[in-house]
Amino acid sequence: MPLDHRRLCGPEESQPPALWAGTAAEDDEDEEGTGAAPRDPCALRPLFARAGLLSQAQGSAYVELGSGTKVLCAAWGPREAAEPGPGRLLCEFRRAPFAGRGARGRPGAVAEREAEREAAAALREALEPAVRLGRYPRARLAVSALLLQDGGSALAAAVSAAALALADAGVEMYDLAVGCALCRPPAPAASWMLQPAEPEERRAAARLTLALLPALNQVSAVLGGGRGGPPEDWAQALRLGLDGCHRQYPVLRQSLLRASQRRDAAAAA
Amino acid sequence: MASVVLSEAEKLYIVHGVQEDLRVDGRGCEDYRCAEVETDVVSNTSGSARVKLGETDILVGIKAEMGTPKLEKPDEGYLEFFVDCSSNSPELEGRGGEELGIDIANTLYRVFSCENTVDLKSLCINPKEHCWVLYVDVLLLECGGNIFDAISIAVKAALFNTRIPKVRVLEDEEGTKEIELSDDPYDCIRLNVEEVPCIVTLSKIGYRHVVDATLQEEACSLASLLISVTSKGAITSMKKVGKGSLDPESIFEMMETGQRVGKSLHIALQKLLDEEESLGTSRPKVGFLG
Repeated sequence: MPLDHRRLCGPEESQPPALWAGTAAEDDEDEEGTGAAPRDPCALRPLFARAGLLSQAQGSAYVELGSGTKVLCAAWGPREAAEPGPGRLLCEFRRAPFAGRGARGRPGAVAEREAEREAAAALREALEPAVRLGRYPRARLAVSALLLQDGGSALAAAVSAAALALADAGVEMYDLAVGCALCRPPAPAASWMLQPAEPEERRAAARLTLALLPALNQVSAVLGGGRGGPPEDWAQALRLGLDGCHRQYPVLRQSLLRASQRRDAAAAA
Repeated sequence: MASVVLSEAEKLYIVHGVQEDLRVDGRGCEDYRCAEVETDVVSNTSGSARVKLGETDILVGIKAEMGTPKLEKPDEGYLEFFVDCSSNSPELEGRGGEELGIDIANTLYRVFSCENTVDLKSLCINPKEHCWVLYVDVLLLECGGNIFDAISIAVKAALFNTRIPKVRVLEDEEGTKEIELSDDPYDCIRLNVEEVPCIVTLSKIGYRHVVDATLQEEACSLASLLISVTSKGAITSMKKVGKGSLDPESIFEMMETGQRVGKSLHIALQKLLDEEESLGTSRPKVGFLG
């Protein structure tokens, strides 16, 4: 989004007031956290998925998680590429400037671009095993994900949305890639939680995002970091995440079916 | 990544060998190539290290400079990573090398993002005003496969070798800040690298996985798992790379192998670094390419 120079630009360095109001705000948050009933770590948040909503793109999908994460994804089918070789999948991940809970991220800032590039690379890692690139030689498939609101588990939601968008565009795929995120709170011997909300993710000691192809039971992406502990803990987290992905799969398939039914109805009318 | 072109017969040869736990150069699936680690190679840096792992050659230089702490963490210093891959091969010049460099830098950021890898509080001079920023610059001199492992070993060795001068910032009555450096050049802060993790790359070839893959083996493997392991055996980050997918059971097996291999790697590296440290100034210097 180009900068509009006619508006009054704020100072170069601006900080959110929340940083300075540190102690009072944190006390309130802690009270709320302990007051509310502790979350069931295996509970999946409600998921809303709809495919085929953008008229300009060949395939599109919108995924919303119960914690508030909203991702919109569009996919374009094979276009001819100049360089020879097997087909290529180009992924792009953008965050809206108002997406995060904290300060507004400046759209052109270097840190933003780096984070977006890393997320785009992770998205590509997750989708490449699912797409039959061998059927599209000398072609480019483009996927673009836009994060409208970050309520936690943003990358996982983006993976699911991107897979839905590709399927909606009619690209040949082995299976849908379903994304799931987990995090582990900093308390000692705490257990892993599925699909964390944004405050839980921010305070987490370790995070893990994974993408699964459920029908083939193959993991297409694993990305995690933090103080996780011995491999047994990470293995337990992986199993929980895989289970979460399997449970989300029917919802995504249903949304694809409905989208194709809508398209048929619109074509017949 | 620089890659070699292999024929189908060569790939089959490698895959079948790995099934029998026998790789092309005679190693087992969990053996590393012969590695050479040397620290304090560049004298203008605060710490440096050079690692040769088979054909892979990495040079890391660390410069400690004073800067302002980040807003969210006012009493800690921080590390900045920069990776340069352009001296490697023609296909890595320009855009290709830049993308690989950013990828490696992001991986290093993620590995070091865990709180207790490096004691960042010891890098603080005055909270909210001054802190030490360690600029870690990694140069990929030659890529012979398995660059992530070699880079993490080099970064750990360079951090062990880093000597940060002791500095005090005094404030006069008028408010001007004065930086006071101690006179003794050997009076410096050393970093504790016990919790610094090392990356172990496990590449899936056929039904088994191998540690420390050469370029040819990387061309046969469709998916690899990068795990960073601390000396105590805790895993601090995980990432899957490659175009293929992994079975969940293979991931569990790879994590176990990675932990085992990582622990023995840490023991060997620490022994070597301590030995080199004890030689002190009497260490024979041969010359850069010697």
